[in-house]
Amino acid sequence: MKALIRKLTESYGPSGREAELRQIVRAEIKGQCDYITEDALGNLIGVVKAKAKTGRRIMLAAHMDEIGLIISHIDERGFARVAPVGGIFPMNCVGSRVRFASGRPGVIGLEEREDKKRAPALSDLYVDVGAADRESCPVRVGDMAVFDRPYAEAGSRLIAKAMDDRIGVAILIETMRRLKRTPHEVQFTFTVQEEVGVRGARTAAFHLEPEVAVAVDITTTGDTPRCPPMAVSLGKGPAVKVRDRGMIADPRVVEWMTSAAAAQHIPHQLEVLEFGSTDASIIQVSRAGVPAGCLSVPCRYAHSPSEMVDMSDVDQSVKLLLAMLQGPVSF
Amino acid sequence: MEVAFPAALCYDRKTMDDKALSEHLKTLLRAQGLSAFETPVRGLVAAAWKRTAPKQTVSRLGSLHALQPGTGRTPRPKILLAAHMDKIGLMVAQVTDGFCRFTEIGGLDPRILPGQPFTIHGREPVSAVVILPPAALLPPDRKAEAARLQDLWLDTGLPAAEAVRLIRIGDPVSFANQPVDLANGRISSPSLDDRAGVAALTVCLEELASRPHRWDVIAAATVQEEETLGGAATSAFALKPDLAVAVDVTFAAEPGLPEHKTFPIAGGPTIGIGPTVHPAMHRAFVQAADKAGIKYAREVMPSRSGTDADALQTTAEGIPTAVIGIPLRYMHSAVETVALEDVRQTGKLLAEMAAALDDKFLPDMKWE
Repeated sequence: MKALIRKLTESYGPSGREAELRQIVRAEIKGQCDYITEDALGNLIGVVKAKAKTGRRIMLAAHMDEIGLIISHIDERGFARVAPVGGIFPMNCVGSRVRFASGRPGVIGLEEREDKKRAPALSDLYVDVGAADRESCPVRVGDMAVFDRPYAEAGSRLIAKAMDDRIGVAILIETMRRLKRTPHEVQFTFTVQEEVGVRGARTAAFHLEPEVAVAVDITTTGDTPRCPPMAVSLGKGPAVKVRDRGMIADPRVVEWMTSAAAAQHIPHQLEVLEFGSTDASIIQVSRAGVPAGCLSVPCRYAHSPSEMVDMSDVDQSVKLLLAMLQGPVSF
Repeated sequence: MEVAFPAALCYDRKTMDDKALSEHLKTLLRAQGLSAFETPVRGLVAAAWKRTAPKQTVSRLGSLHALQPGTGRTPRPKILLAAHMDKIGLMVAQVTDGFCRFTEIGGLDPRILPGQPFTIHGREPVSAVVILPPAALLPPDRKAEAARLQDLWLDTGLPAAEAVRLIRIGDPVSFANQPVDLANGRISSPSLDDRAGVAALTVCLEELASRPHRWDVIAAATVQEEETLGGAATSAFALKPDLAVAVDVTFAAEPGLPEHKTFPIAGGPTIGIGPTVHPAMHRAFVQAADKAGIKYAREVMPSRSGTDADALQTTAEGIPTAVIGIPLRYMHSAVETVALEDVRQTGKLLAEMAAALDDKFLPDMKWE
């Protein structure tokens, strides 16, 4: 599974530019499900059909897109100005390298500022792609870049850019592979444009009309020096979301998840996230409403080029999803 | 979905005087039901509406829909009257010894939390108080600061092991304050936002039960308004009403607030006007109020209304929507205050408007 995580995290796929991911995921799930579809926005859906009449139509969602930068202007000396694609923290950009779809690298530079105490804003930053002037600049306005950072392992911890949410994508792929028996129709949905406002999940849920939905995404932790307090730690198991800024998870889904975890002795944590949200928030209010929750992988340094998760949490996340899908859903 | 009716008292139809309405409202106010945890209050609302609107369904997210059929030819047009039954409160975010860190459900002002009693809905109900370190013991630079949410704790008094046994992260926490009768027919309580609106729907159904109306009327007690407006959005999608009305509380005049941003308490309901409100709906409410001699104020909503209407209006292919407000003092606090008469008049106005809807209303309807 680590090879898959490496491949997914090192790929290029900012919001709206998920083609490379779609190709990789399609190859990975081919033959593992009953059929694969793609919709107008580029969501990729692999469906495992119901084996029993008693089952539910369950949507699982992990987003393929990652945060990035989009070129808004190139000056006459060939330096590119950028706007954010998703929740970019300018502080995390300084000194970073980025990569464009073509593979072209760029360096993020910081202008001299009068007030050095002020945190840098994106308008203080530029991307240097090695061009001598505007005319010879190899990138254009509208081109998108993502962080360029190799995957690395530090003991049981995995470090990569775009762990948000390629780790969720990897978990769905692995779950599909290992899912032997289920009474349910399971819609493995690899969504687009989550980072710019959960757009892919919105249309995918409208199309799929699930009866129950679970997003698989990352959550932040409260186990690093002087971080905001939060009762989630790396390595203590997947987090069952109770709430975040976008939704309160359906209490029935929370119960389904925690009781499945308890029955299989899967370590897990309960999550209350003070900011951010996931695909589940928009699926919950799709059409006439969908009981929805989220399985979160604890992740340090979210939205930085070095997002860190623990492999045991990843393994346990797959186990928890399998446990949930193998039994009946009682609501 | 079937609805279980608890035997709990609600009100007596024949004597729905001020005392009965007050008791009905207080029954709703005492009921649990934070956003996403509305099951307890839903049962009470279902029971209260059973006599006047027995055909009831529950949405996938938990909103209650109650149909009062009209007398017009089928297929009849239908109007949805929505008031949200969820309420604001807290949620446990971390359990440390007998203390809990918490986050908010809905919007809460941390200034009004210290010193308040709460109930944590854990494995069993746990009493708690929100505490703030005494100013005398704070560093000098922190003394003058307003309380921040992250500095506040719930103290249960429980020993650590017992706290962990009874309380889990994610448990809802509600104001423990009980409704208080103030002079002059005023009621002060947490969660009047929007249980007052639900009680107004009860009044409306009661009125309509004894007078003919051509349209189908669906009363909805919606969920999760304080969080996402998700209950109204999904119920409207399922019910596909021809018209929709959000019934919610609005800012009543209180000391220290500018007159132009508030509405007189006991001055009757407000009728919203602005981009959220279909002009024909606004006119219909104004005409109904004038005809029935109901006092009202026009409430300007230059942008979003901050109510279920914002979701109702843009559901599916769009629904002509109106907003009716009940003036309320001290919004989102433990001592929200309304005049009972405003609740009654709001219900009456809704009934007058719904009863006046005829077969020509929809064909004649234009946005101008």
